[in-house]
Amino acid sequence: MKGQNLAKLAWRNLWRQKRRTLLTLFSIVFGFFIAILTYATQDRSYASMIDLAAKMGGGHVAVQHPKYMDAPSLKYTVMDQGLSEKIEAQESVHKVTHRITGQLMVATARQSIGGFFIAYDPAKEDPESLSFLEGIKEGALFKFADELGIILGKKLAQNLGVKMGGKVVYTLMDKNGEIVTGLGRVRGVIGTGAQGIDSSIVLLPIDALRPLLGYAPNEMTQLAVYINDSRRSQKVSKKMGPLLGPQQKSYTWAEITPDLKSFIAMKMGSSLVIQIIIALLVCAGIFNTLFVSVMERMREFGILLAIGFEPRQLFSMVMWESLWLGLVGLVGGFALTAWPYGYLVEHGIDVSAQIGEKAVDIAGIGFSPIIQVGIFPEHAVMISIAVVVATLMAGIYPAWRAGRVVPVETIRLD
Amino acid sequence: MNQNTTIIELKNITKVYRQGELDVHALRGLDLTIKTGEFTAISGPSGSGKTTALNLIGALDKPTSGDIHLEGNDLKAMGQRALSHLRRDRIGFVFQAYNLMPILTAYENAETVLALQGVAAQKRKEIVMKLLEDVGLEGMADRRPNQLSGGQQQRVAIARAMASRPAVILADEPTANVDSETASRLLDLMKKLNEEHGTTFVFSTHDPRVMESAKRLIRLVDGKVEDEQEHP
Repeated sequence: MKGQNLAKLAWRNLWRQKRRTLLTLFSIVFGFFIAILTYATQDRSYASMIDLAAKMGGGHVAVQHPKYMDAPSLKYTVMDQGLSEKIEAQESVHKVTHRITGQLMVATARQSIGGFFIAYDPAKEDPESLSFLEGIKEGALFKFADELGIILGKKLAQNLGVKMGGKVVYTLMDKNGEIVTGLGRVRGVIGTGAQGIDSSIVLLPIDALRPLLGYAPNEMTQLAVYINDSRRSQKVSKKMGPLLGPQQKSYTWAEITPDLKSFIAMKMGSSLVIQIIIALLVCAGIFNTLFVSVMERMREFGILLAIGFEPRQLFSMVMWESLWLGLVGLVGGFALTAWPYGYLVEHGIDVSAQIGEKAVDIAGIGFSPIIQVGIFPEHAVMISIAVVVATLMAGIYPAWRAGRVVPVETIRLD
Repeated sequence: MNQNTTIIELKNITKVYRQGELDVHALRGLDLTIKTGEFTAISGPSGSGKTTALNLIGALDKPTSGDIHLEGNDLKAMGQRALSHLRRDRIGFVFQAYNLMPILTAYENAETVLALQGVAAQKRKEIVMKLLEDVGLEGMADRRPNQLSGGQQQRVAIARAMASRPAVILADEPTANVDSETASRLLDLMKKLNEEHGTTFVFSTHDPRVMESAKRLIRLVDGKVEDEQEHP
C-alpha cells in the first residue's frame, strides 16, 4: 500500500476515538503555545537586554586596550587612526563611536559622591547608541563635543543638592595617574528609573574631557561598535581582529558584561528544564493515546496482516497516525498562539505595578518593566520541528508493537 | 485453469502449541491434498485442528513439523515478506466475525488488497464495483460495516477476499454468525464464485449446510483426517 493510502487510513484511525484524540491534541497545542511564548519572551527580552547593555556601555562589540578589561584605568587607551571607518565598513555594523568611561568623584559645596561617567560625542550619539540620552528629565543634552557642562543622574543631583545651572566639581585620575579636577555647570538631569544608575551616572562631552585627561584628539578608552543583531557579536568581533593594532583588542557584550551573560544563561537554563518537563508530559500523553489505540486494535492488525499487509506497513501506518497528531497539533498550536503572540508583540505586559519601579536593574543595567515578546525565526522553526519529532518519537514503540503482531494469536481473540 | 492441479499439499503436518505447562497437539501428522477449483469443507469437533489447518494453509502460522506447499511454493522456505505477498496475491480470507475495518466503507474494505497490490485507482474501482455487484451489494458501496447487517458484512468480506483474484479462499466458519437464510445465500454466492471464477474454496465448519454444499468433505478428529467424502 502506498504512503498516501496509509496516510488516509491513519487519518481515519485517529478520529475513531474523537475525545481521546482531541485531548491529546489539546496537550500538544498547549505545549506549543507555552514553548513559543516562553521562547518569544526570552528572545525579545534577552535581545533587548543585550541591546540596552550595549547602549549603556561599550556597544555590542568594544575595542579597548587589552589591560583595560581587568584594570579599567584611564591610562589604558586606544587610538582611532582610521579604525572607525574600517570597522563601519564591516557587514552588520551600523555605528562606531568614541567613548571615555571610568570612575569619578562629584562634589558640590554640600556633598561629595562617587559615580561613573561616560564621555561621548554629541554629534555622533543618539538614544539608539547611548540609551541614557532618552532619559533627559530637565535641561538639555550637549550639542557639541567640546562644550563645558555636565549632566547628572536625577538621584545623584538630588543627593548632591544641585539644581540646573549649579556648579559641580568632578575629580578623576588622568592618563598619567595624576588627580585632575574639572568644573561644570549642570546642563541636564537624566532619569532611567533604575535607582542604582540614577544615583551615580554622569555624562560629559568627550572633547571637553580629553585635554583634562591628557588624551590626544582621537584617543579614548573604548571604541563602541553597534551591530544590527546582537547574535552576530562574536562573528563581528572575530572579523575585526585583523584590523586591530597590538594595543587594541575587541570584546563582545558578553565579555564586557559577564554578569548579564550569566544572568541570561541561568534564566535560559532554568527555562529549558521547565520546557523539557512540559515536553515530556506532552510526549507521555501522545504515547498513551497511541499505545492504547494500538492495543485496542491488535485483532485488526492481525486481520490486516492476514490479508496481505506487511509488518512494516503496519509500523508506517501507526507512525502516520503520530505524524498526523503532530501536524494537526502544530496547526492548532499556531492558531491558538497567533493572537496572544501578536498582542504581546505589540503591547506587552506592564509589570511595573508588581515590581514597584519604572525600570528593573539587572547586572547594573536598567531594563523596561514592559515584557514584550518576539521570537527568533529559527526558534519558531526549532519548536515546530520539535513538536513533530516528539510526536513521532512517542509513536515509535506503539508502531513497533503493531508491526510485531502475530496474526494467529490476535485473530483467535474472536 | 487445470482442475487436476494440486494447489495445496500438506505432508505429515504436526502442530504443537504450548499452553502454560502443557503441550497441546493440534495436528498429529496431517496429510491433505486439495486440487485447484475444489469446494472443500473441513469439519470436525472443537479442538480437532480445523482452524489450525486453515491458518497453516493461509501462511498465518508455521507447522511444528511437516511440509506445506501452496501452488508449489514451500511455505517453510519463504521469508516473512514473501509470505505477506503470498497472502496478499494468492490467498483470500473470510472470517467468522467478518473482521472488516470499521473505519472503511464497503467499497474501501473490498479495495484494500488491491491498494496493497498497487493497482491503479480506476482499475480498482472497476474490479470492486463489479465484485460488490456480484455479491449483491450494489448501492451499498459507501456504507460502513456498522450500517450493514451481518450477512451483508460477510458479503463484503467475501468481496474483499475475491478482489485480488486469489488462487484459494480460506473461510473459517463463514456462516457461524448469520441466520440460516443468510447462510444459505452466502453459500450460494461462494458456490457461484467457485464455479464462475474457478477459485478454490476451503472452509472449516461445524455447519451441516456448509458440509452438504461442499463437493468434498474432510473430517478431522484429533488432528488427523478421519474420513473423507466426495459429493457429486
